[in-house]
Amino acid sequence: MEGKVIVITSGKGGVGKTTATSCIGAALALEGKRVAIVDMDIGLRNLDVVMGLENRIVFNIVDVVLERCKISQAAIRDRRIENLFLIPASQSDNKDVLTTSGVERVADQLRKEFDFIIMDSPAGIERGFENSIVGANEAIVICTPDVSAVRDADRVIGLLYSRSLTPKLIVNRIEPARVERGEMLSHEDVLEVLSIDLAGLVPMDEHVLISSNTGTPLVLQNESTAGQAFKRIARRLNGEADLPVQVPVCKMSMWNKISRTFGLKR
Amino acid sequence: MLSISRLLRRFTGQKASKDTAKKRLQFSLIYDKLELNDTTLTDLQKDIVAVISNYFEINKDSLELKVKRDDNVTALVFNTPILQLKRKRA
Repeated sequence: MEGKVIVITSGKGGVGKTTATSCIGAALALEGKRVAIVDMDIGLRNLDVVMGLENRIVFNIVDVVLERCKISQAAIRDRRIENLFLIPASQSDNKDVLTTSGVERVADQLRKEFDFIIMDSPAGIERGFENSIVGANEAIVICTPDVSAVRDADRVIGLLYSRSLTPKLIVNRIEPARVERGEMLSHEDVLEVLSIDLAGLVPMDEHVLISSNTGTPLVLQNESTAGQAFKRIARRLNGEADLPVQVPVCKMSMWNKISRTFGLKR
Repeated sequence: MLSISRLLRRFTGQKASKDTAKKRLQFSLIYDKLELNDTTLTDLQKDIVAVISNYFEINKDSLELKVKRDDNVTALVFNTPILQLKRKRA
């Protein structure tokens, strides 16, 4: 068995890398795969709190790369979702403690033990980014529909291409009502600007913040539209390549639509 | 479905801000990639001068090479006064 390393990256910070990583990882585990989520944001770890596993950290990815412990010692098992593991980042070290050759070696080991390894890259395009893409088989770039996120995504896509990775795109935090009003770039606009294939579309969803407040998996909440969108992305990664991409739609009544158009309501 | 707001915009001739965003993005992405370093530009200039000098006599000091942005296109502009046509030797 040889697993697949998928890196999730964006260039710009705060566009939803960590949420996407935890959701896609959890959804793949729900599909019955053995999944390791790796937080590569050394010094600024976050996946542990988002996933609600912060109290169970003993070792971290730096310990694994520097051979201070085994993978099995650093991987925290999620008790709610079977076959889901988190290898947290180190909070005290700085990004320069890792070498690309060290990360590559660990990626090879992880491929032997897991079906999917999802790497959460740090923001930026420096050393930490290099470390997180060096062992990757596939790459996903995530952006929000705003000019700065799209521009940074373009830069990152270029860098991934130069490393022989052909990334796919997730457009996150789509607000259909604003797209409709012409206030927000549509996913078609973003795709046209970036000329890249789509991995999936994720709507703006209040459940994301709420589930991170409590550290519960978003994909277990059926009422979360973002969680459901990430589930579909995971199914696409897991062999169902033809599963159609759902475009977020706005659930607004006709009357609200009319009154908003005429400025009676915001 | 054509939305009401889009229809209204069409009547009033008001432009959606997302269209501005898209246009600005398209330009800045091209421009970002055209951000050439000085050595590349100097080398390119030398090569162009060499080629043109085969056919024209030009003033090598008064030429300029720049990346120009316009509403619809981004172009590489090379500007030089031609002093004389070179005579071709048989």
